[in-house]
Amino acid sequence: MTGMSQMSHDLSYLIPEVIVLIAGGGTLALEMLRLPRAALAFAIVGLLLAACLTLPLLGVDTSVFGGTFRIDTLSVWAKLILLPSTVLSLLLVRAELAGSDREGAVYSLLCFTTFGALVLAGGGDAMFLVLGVLLSSLGAFALVAYPRNDAATEAAMKFFVFASVTGSVMIFGLTYWFGATGSTLLADLAHLDKAPLAAAVGLVAVITGLGYKASLAPFHFWAPDAYEGAPIAVAAYLSVVPKIGAIFALAQVVRDLPSTTGWPLVVAFVAVLTMSWGYLAALVQNNVVRLLAYSSIAQAGYFLLGIVAVGESPLAQSSLVVFAAAYAAMNLGAFAIVQGTGRTLDAFSGMARTTPVAGIAMTVFLISLVGIPPLAGFVGKFLLFGAAIDAHFTWLTVVAILNSVLSLAVYLRIIVPMFRSGGDEGEGNVIPPRGNAPLIIAVWVIALMVTVGLGFAGQLILATVARA
Amino acid sequence: MLPIVSMTLFLPLLGALLVMASRNASARVVHGIGIATSALTLAGALWIWLRGVQPGAFSQVEQVDWMPTIGAAYRVGVDGISLPLVLLTAVLFLLTFIFSAKVKDRPHAYVILMLMLETASIGAFASLDALLFYVFFEVSLVSMYFMIAGWGYEDRQRAALMFFIYTLLGSLPLLLAILGLYLGSDPHTFDMRVWIAHPPLTGLAAMLALVAMLFTFAVKTPVFPFHTWLPVAHVQAPAAGSVILAGVMLKFGTYGLVRFALEMTPAAFRDAAVVILVFGVFSALYGAFAALAQTDLKRLIAYTSVNHMGYVIVGVAVAALATSPAIRAIALDGAVLQMVSHGLVTGALFFLVGMLQDRAHTREMDSFGGLLKYVPLLGWSFVLAAFASLGLPGLAHFPAEFQIFLATLRVEPLALIVILGIVVTAGLYLRAIGKVFFGAPREQWATMPDLNLREVLVLAPLLALTIAVGVAPSWVLDTVHRTTAALRF
Repeated sequence: MTGMSQMSHDLSYLIPEVIVLIAGGGTLALEMLRLPRAALAFAIVGLLLAACLTLPLLGVDTSVFGGTFRIDTLSVWAKLILLPSTVLSLLLVRAELAGSDREGAVYSLLCFTTFGALVLAGGGDAMFLVLGVLLSSLGAFALVAYPRNDAATEAAMKFFVFASVTGSVMIFGLTYWFGATGSTLLADLAHLDKAPLAAAVGLVAVITGLGYKASLAPFHFWAPDAYEGAPIAVAAYLSVVPKIGAIFALAQVVRDLPSTTGWPLVVAFVAVLTMSWGYLAALVQNNVVRLLAYSSIAQAGYFLLGIVAVGESPLAQSSLVVFAAAYAAMNLGAFAIVQGTGRTLDAFSGMARTTPVAGIAMTVFLISLVGIPPLAGFVGKFLLFGAAIDAHFTWLTVVAILNSVLSLAVYLRIIVPMFRSGGDEGEGNVIPPRGNAPLIIAVWVIALMVTVGLGFAGQLILATVARA
Repeated sequence: MLPIVSMTLFLPLLGALLVMASRNASARVVHGIGIATSALTLAGALWIWLRGVQPGAFSQVEQVDWMPTIGAAYRVGVDGISLPLVLLTAVLFLLTFIFSAKVKDRPHAYVILMLMLETASIGAFASLDALLFYVFFEVSLVSMYFMIAGWGYEDRQRAALMFFIYTLLGSLPLLLAILGLYLGSDPHTFDMRVWIAHPPLTGLAAMLALVAMLFTFAVKTPVFPFHTWLPVAHVQAPAAGSVILAGVMLKFGTYGLVRFALEMTPAAFRDAAVVILVFGVFSALYGAFAALAQTDLKRLIAYTSVNHMGYVIVGVAVAALATSPAIRAIALDGAVLQMVSHGLVTGALFFLVGMLQDRAHTREMDSFGGLLKYVPLLGWSFVLAAFASLGLPGLAHFPAEFQIFLATLRVEPLALIVILGIVVTAGLYLRAIGKVFFGAPREQWATMPDLNLREVLVLAPLLALTIAVGVAPSWVLDTVHRTTAALRF
């Protein structure tokens, strides 16, 4: 095959990514023309088109550009999950920031950040990991700082400093892997069993770099501050899209890493730390955004139950994909309700009585986050538990289960006041002005349908993963 | 053939959707939908009953693919162990809906939750797929949480929280065990029939799975020392919630003990049977003595539940220890019948206490006296139910406990010390009846109204069934025995 036809062959697999880039660029151009609504429409159409064009790739398992970028179950499903999630985030951003200065720039940044997350999820080469982390971080800093007040600026600074340090550590560690294997391809990591020291240094570095992106403990400190300072819509986005990208990137790395390096045990310990720390910290939050931030940290720990099973259990990939889809839906839904209700726990007092449908929806999202059937979160966690047990990590599953009980206490802190008949809430109680914004309602209604539907229709995803 | 099991199972859910759709309907209409739906559900359950069960297999099996990739399917069906419980559930829910027709506080949400709970309860008994069972098991928990938190008494929030966290902690080990059994089966499946026919785990793995399951079912049943959530939840739950909690949901524990623990890890269960027996005996005695110390009528009945469920545990453990199939069948017959009797009798008792509380706004024994003079119908109903609960011959508990004790005598005579529990419950019920309904009438209760028509409609069927099971248990036992006599393990 000539170089030219190889190139076009490769690009044909990358049409979705190319369209996402075009969507980001076009949105930016429309923003320069001061046409924010057109920019929004362009971004949404572009992302949905990219998602549709991903569908024919289901079941494909190949790689492009000499193995540096993978078109496999994880990267295809990353597109199918993250692109619609970005669209929902765009709607939330529109509801929160409509009419503000440079609104269109936010849409563009969301597209580019999502592109970074997609690069991460399909990365087959160490350089793609670095590129993905950078791409998805640069846009994210600006997104967090967007409100231009003290809180947002401080949040963005913390976020940036954290990212710089962990990013440098990751690049430093990756040089050890490169030195030991003579290649940056992740597929060549199989040779690492002869260089245990280099393998260990690289492993720690990669977990640091991707752990920051996925907000795994102890690299999560930026997340609550960044989410709190950022617009709620941006927090919702950051808690879903870059996180899932990083988790899938970790799955791509460990796929070829020999288990003699001890990575499953390291990942398992990080999982224990992340789950427990996240929920224990969430237990004492009074700000709902911070509470959900810690919850999203803990949920990242659950993903790791699927990671430890990569290569050991056939359930690993399906569990990661199903839980990613479930997590995206329930978390975006919960954040959408927060956006419509308010940032404090007090705002939720009696909320299920004044707006019963939204109250029930929030209850469904939170109960799904706990992992109670028959909702999406249950199917995801159930598969994750199965994968971990299958990979002989039963003890890790026990820890995860204990954390699920803890998580119930966390989420009930929102649910209980919602159903309280507010004795003090009289006529004077003002319902937040944006509470009924149709865009927000649209987002949580869609998220609700996925959260409930996926509980019954998990087969839709499972069938495609099994074929791959 | 009509998929009558599925129709019965999802009828309440359909009713719940109907209530959701009619948001502007009045409380009367909403309660009407609840009663009509549960009446139809009972008709469905009776239809299943008339179709009957076959020995040695599950009957009326209905199956639809759900997640074929991982071997999970929607599978429902009944056998002689689950069918009586399905019927009991349908009866209790209908009566609960009739009883609750007075609820004016958010009737929509109340009826929706109760209907969801009914689907979940029937589903748990009818599931033949472990994943499906777990789904129903947990949905019932969530519905009951909102039931207690929304319509309970003074300290309902704390009680609901305790109930939810305690039972979630209790149910998650079951998920572990289910995953273990799933990964042990080859090819991987969640089909409970396969697990029962060919127990997938052996040795240490089976024992670990058994321990996880025992933990779950011990919390649910509840068995001492995992019972601490029960009095709290019962005292704070609304009367209807108590009836369902005691009459139906406690049976998830004992049903699971038979269906999962005994049938899916039989060898490990046999090894552990003596320990389980000791827990059962201790729990039965503990429940009786703890009830003796109560002055709150609801707490008293809650603790007698611990006592009665203890007998069920004893029956199942004895069945596992029995070497002769005949004795094993007698023990299991007794255990299953005991579950049914307890549902009928304790259901009636919790209804009665609820009616008393509606009138007097207290449940303290000492604040009553001589009530029989003012409310003879209520009084005599309570006396009858209490006599049934203490195991009087001719009433529902007697044939069940008799069979359990008979099998115990043949297998492990030492365990018969558990009969002491009967003496204690007899004492405590006589004391309660004496304090509340006999003695010097108190002037303050002179205007207390006797049972109204709605309340008679609730109690009459339960008391009639209590007598029917007590006098002629064979109409239930024949169905149960058809399955228990054919069990192989």
